[in-house]
Amino acid sequence: MASSDPAVIQTRALSKRYRKVAALTDCTIIVPEGRISALIGPNGAGKTTLLRLLAGLARPTGGDIAVLGTRPGQDPAFLAGIGFLAQEIPLYRRMSAADHIRIGAHLNARWDGTSVRQRLESLGIPLGQAVGTLSGGQRAQLALALTLAKRPRLLLLDEPVAALDPLARRQFLAHLAEAVAGGDLSVVLSSHLLADLERICDHLVLLAGSRVQLCGDVDALLAEHQILVGPRKDTTAIERDHTLVHAVRTPRQTTLLIRRNGPVVDPAFETADVSLEELVLGYMGQHAGGPAPAHQSAIGGDQ
Amino acid sequence: MTWLVWRQHRNQAYIAAAVLAALAVLLLVSGRQMASQYQSARASCAASHTCSNLANTLSLGTPAVSLLVTLTVVVPCLLGVFWGGPLVAREFETGTSQFAWTQGVSRSRWLAVKIGWALLAAAAWGGAVSALVTWWSSPVNALRHQNFRAAQFDIQGVVPVGYALFAVALGIAAGALLRRTLPAMAITVGVFTFVRLVIGQDFRSHYLTALTKTFSFLHPAFPQGSYWLVSGGVVGPGGQVPSASQAGGGPHLSIDGVPISMSNLPAACRTLAFQGPFKFFPCLTARGYHPFITYQPASRYWAFQGIEAGIFVLIAAALVAVTAIVVLRRDA
Repeated sequence: MASSDPAVIQTRALSKRYRKVAALTDCTIIVPEGRISALIGPNGAGKTTLLRLLAGLARPTGGDIAVLGTRPGQDPAFLAGIGFLAQEIPLYRRMSAADHIRIGAHLNARWDGTSVRQRLESLGIPLGQAVGTLSGGQRAQLALALTLAKRPRLLLLDEPVAALDPLARRQFLAHLAEAVAGGDLSVVLSSHLLADLERICDHLVLLAGSRVQLCGDVDALLAEHQILVGPRKDTTAIERDHTLVHAVRTPRQTTLLIRRNGPVVDPAFETADVSLEELVLGYMGQHAGGPAPAHQSAIGGDQ
Repeated sequence: MTWLVWRQHRNQAYIAAAVLAALAVLLLVSGRQMASQYQSARASCAASHTCSNLANTLSLGTPAVSLLVTLTVVVPCLLGVFWGGPLVAREFETGTSQFAWTQGVSRSRWLAVKIGWALLAAAAWGGAVSALVTWWSSPVNALRHQNFRAAQFDIQGVVPVGYALFAVALGIAAGALLRRTLPAMAITVGVFTFVRLVIGQDFRSHYLTALTKTFSFLHPAFPQGSYWLVSGGVVGPGGQVPSASQAGGGPHLSIDGVPISMSNLPAACRTLAFQGPFKFFPCLTARGYHPFITYQPASRYWAFQGIEAGIFVLIAAALVAVTAIVVLRRDA
C-alpha cells in the first residue's frame, strides 16, 4: 500500500455549480489504485455530485478530472472501466433480475452474467420476479452484482447501504469485500455514516460544505494527527507549531486535535492516538464551527 | 440495445398490434361491403342515367364505422403521448438513465436506438392506419370528391405518417426537456394540436397558389373531381362583392358554400331573388355580376400531401436534434 500506487482518480480544483448553487468547490483529491475509499460527509456535502462527475454522468464546471487515466465521458471505452451504483438503486422495476442480466449482456462488451446468477442464488433472490417486488436489500444486492458483472476497475457506490437494515448492510459490505479481494478493483463508496464504512475502508475522502476537508490513506491520516488533552491554558504555542484542527475547551480541560509537524513537547498535555471517528468528527466540527460531540458516531445526524 | 428497447416497450407494441388488428378486420369487412354497394349503385344508376345525382341519393357505410374512421385523426397524437412522452422522461423520472448510461454503451447510441425504434414504430403504425383508412375511403372519395377537405385530407394518404413522426418526436423532446412523464404527455397534446391546427388552417392553402375560376350564373362550371374550395364570391362592375361574413347577416346567396350577402347585390335584381333563379341570375349576369371561386385543383392532392408530410417530417427532425442536444449535453 505504498503511496506510489498509480492513481485511479485524480482531480485538481474540480468544481460543479448548479445555477447559483456550488455543489462542489475546489476539489483536489487523489485515490490510488486498489483502495477502498470512504467518501464521507454530511448530507448535501457534495458526495453525490463528486461520484456523478467521476462516473461521467455530470460535467464539471471547472477544474481537471481524470478517472482511470482519462476524462470521464460517455464513450464505451471509459464506461467499460467503471461501475456506478446510484443512491436510489435505479433498476427497471417491472423487469426481473434475469432481464437485467440479459440487458447487461447486450450493453456490455465484457459481461459475467454467471456471477450474478450464482450470487443471487446464494442469497436466495428470485431471478424471475419483477425487481419492484424485491426487498430493498435484495435490490441493492442485485444492483451490486450487476455492477460487478461488468468487471469494472473502479466501482463508484453512492450511499449503497443507506436504505438497508443492519443485516442487509452487513451482507452487502461482505459481498463488496469479497469482490475487492477477488481482483484488481478500486472502490469509492459514500456514506454520511462513518460506522458504515469504517471496517472496510483504507482510504478516506472527507467532504463538508462542498469542499474537501481530508483526503488520504487512513493509516497515514491517523499517524499525522494527534489528540492532546491538558489543562485549560493558552495554546498559541501549539497552534504555531502544529495545525489545529479542532479544540474543545471546558472550564477545566482543553482537548485539541492537531495535525502534527514533528513531536509535541508541551509537558502539560497528554498525547493520545486519534481514532478514525475522532478524526472525522474533528474535521466536521471544524467545518460546522462548533464543538463536535465526541460520543456521537453519526456525522450528519441520522438520515 | 435493441433488445432493451424491445423489452421495455413490448407491452405497448403488443397493445398497438392488437388495436391495429381489430381496426384492420373492421375496416376490411366494412370497406368490402361499401365497395360492392358503390359498384352496384353505379351499375344501376348507369342503367337509369341518374349517376349525376348519385351523391345525393346514395349513403355509403354505417355511421359508427364512419365515425371511427373520422376519429383516426387522433391516432398520431395518441402515439406521441403514449410512446413519445414516456420514452426518455420515464428513465429520468425513475433514475434508470443512470443505470443505462453507466453500462458499456455510449449515451448517443442509447438515444439513437431508442428514438430510431420509436419513430419507426410511429411511422409504421401511423402508415398502417392511414393505409386502411385510405383504402376504406376510396368508394366515398369516388362518390363525394371530398378527400381534399381537411376532415379527409388529414386522415388519408401520407400526411398521417408525418403527423405520427412529429407527435412522437414532440413527445420525446418534451420528455427530455421536462424529465417528467405526465407534464411531457400534456405538453405533447397541447403543442401537437396547436401546430396541426395552425398549419392546417393558416398554411396549407398557400402551399401552391390557388387557382381562380370565374364563370357565369347561367352556366355554373365548377372544377372537376375532388378540388379544394379555398374561397369564393361574386365580382361585379365595382370589384368583388363582400361576402356575408364581412357584411353582417341577412339573406344571402351561396356560391359553392361561400355566402354572399344579398344587400350587396343590385337592388333591381334583389327583388327577383325570391321568384327563383330563372329571373334572378340573368338579371345579375346582365349587370355584369359573375360568381368566382379560388381553389386547389384535384390534381394537386398528392403534391399537397407530400408538402404537408414533408413539413411535419422536418419539424420532427428538428425536435430529434433538440432532444439529442438536451440529452447529450445535460447531466444525467
